[in-house]
Amino acid sequence: MMLVGGVLLIVVAMVIAGANSHKPTAAQIASADAAFQKQFAECMQGQVLGPGPQLPPGYTSLAQFCADEAAPNVDTGLQFRDAALLLQHTSTFVVLLGVALAASLGGADWSAGTMTTLLTWEPRRIRVLLTRAVVVAVVVVSVTLFLQGVLLGSFRLAVALRGTSLGAPPGLIGDALQTGLRVSAVAVGFGLVALAIATIGRSTVAALGVLFGYLVLFEGVIAGLRPSIQDRLLVRAGGVIVSQQPIFDQNGSFSSGLSNQLPRVLLGLTEASVVAAVYVVVLMVLALFAFRTRDVN
Amino acid sequence: MGVIELHGLRKEYRRIRGGRTVAVDGLDLEVPDGGVFGFLGPNGAGKTTTIRCVLGLVRPNAGSLTLLGADVSSGLAGVIGKVGSIVEQPALFPRFTGRRNLQILGRIQRVGRSTIDEVLERVRLSDRADDAVRTYSLGMKQRLGIAAALLKDPSVLLLDEPANGLDPAGIVEVRELIRSLGAEGRTVFVSSHILSEVQQTADQVAIIARGRLVKAGPVNEVLAAGRARGLVVKLADLPAGLRVLADEQIPAVVSGDTLSVDLPPNQAERVTRVLAAKDLYVSELRPEEVDLETVFLELTKDEGLGP
Repeated sequence: MMLVGGVLLIVVAMVIAGANSHKPTAAQIASADAAFQKQFAECMQGQVLGPGPQLPPGYTSLAQFCADEAAPNVDTGLQFRDAALLLQHTSTFVVLLGVALAASLGGADWSAGTMTTLLTWEPRRIRVLLTRAVVVAVVVVSVTLFLQGVLLGSFRLAVALRGTSLGAPPGLIGDALQTGLRVSAVAVGFGLVALAIATIGRSTVAALGVLFGYLVLFEGVIAGLRPSIQDRLLVRAGGVIVSQQPIFDQNGSFSSGLSNQLPRVLLGLTEASVVAAVYVVVLMVLALFAFRTRDVN
Repeated sequence: MGVIELHGLRKEYRRIRGGRTVAVDGLDLEVPDGGVFGFLGPNGAGKTTTIRCVLGLVRPNAGSLTLLGADVSSGLAGVIGKVGSIVEQPALFPRFTGRRNLQILGRIQRVGRSTIDEVLERVRLSDRADDAVRTYSLGMKQRLGIAAALLKDPSVLLLDEPANGLDPAGIVEVRELIRSLGAEGRTVFVSSHILSEVQQTADQVAIIARGRLVKAGPVNEVLAAGRARGLVVKLADLPAGLRVLADEQIPAVVSGDTLSVDLPPNQAERVTRVLAAKDLYVSELRPEEVDLETVFLELTKDEGLGP
């Protein structure tokens, strides 16, 4: 049901996006391409970043930075060069879908009362929960990759009909694929957290309620009140993993490459992965303990 | 050695607002190999908790518990493949078909399709096997639960109130099924609060009340424990017979078309002699029929735990 709903939503979204877009004229394309080539060349000559070897965080090459900086300026709506960005911007929904799926898988047996039946077939509870975690991971990865594939495919179709591929770099599909994999990985992490809470609370509703309450209210409030502890929050870690853009200490300053003085990185990609892994491991251990020791009535 | 052995089993539940409820209180029980073992007790006596303890779903606070010779707390996984069970209502996925439900369970222990077909046939659900479980009647769900329990070809079956909610035809079907399973040499442990059901199916019976064992043994012996409280006497002139017995200080009352005489069966001769001496001839004389319900009430009356 979630899968069908997701596909339908994507199709509807792309129809609306396509309706609000149009193919650029030959003149628009030529003008935008000329402007892009000029800006790209200037950027590659160091006219944007200035002297010094330092690249802004998140970039591994100057060409990558310049390709982003010198975007072709055709105001036609859909541009295929935004494919990876599209996956990043829709990642919240994809991750939430993963959470809902995992919470459902984790809570279904408790709601239906089938956990009793299951344990009379396989009484090794650790094995039961770990198997379930593997199933959750496989299902969440499959579903989220499939939906992102549908999104990307329908975006490509909409671009072909009503947009442009102007300025799309050669490695765009690879970048988009990597972004999709990162989004699915984050969805699995959040899904395992949901599974753990569903196991402890023995209910899908409990898992969704607690997790959304924590992520939206608690982490949102905490991040607002104490920005310095953002490096320990799950949502921030997930965001960093998906975007590969670190979170900087807001007390520092970064002035668009005009200075070599970069602010302190509060949460980089490695740290974000560790933070997310700690959340998953701690909650799964708690879930294993609760599942192993509590009576099943 | 029994197939199921409980020694000093105790389980108490703590209430959220403090205090505790003792569900099983030092229960000792030994279930012999083969046949049908009835586990009787009123609601709340601790039957389901005991079964949950045996299946490792609930951890007892004290006591030892073995199933097929394995300590349940440590070795249950080694014997669970030989144990089929239904605890309370069989829990099934309502949107899936009966066959799909069995396939899901069967996958855990690699049960083949032919076995699934066999158990469906055995519980007479082959015709409806491909319908969603939500369309099943309560009796069909119960039969599907038994089919699930039979998937493992178990040597021990634990059935918790299998006749619950069934119509008379369903009760008869389940009763026959339980009997046939016991006759195959399997050990069928059936809990129930419906005494007549156990009486008609079980070879052995244990009666519990408030988590304690009240009486256990072969059904006939347990019945005998409360037997022989009186005699049933049939004769043509009941009022005359009543007067004669009263004159001889033998307590009796009219009960329908018979006299119910409060003498043990081994004093039947005295009744016939007294009546015959007054030309009152007995056309029927028998001990009062004692069913399990009577025994149960008798055995539990000291604790005020009748059903």
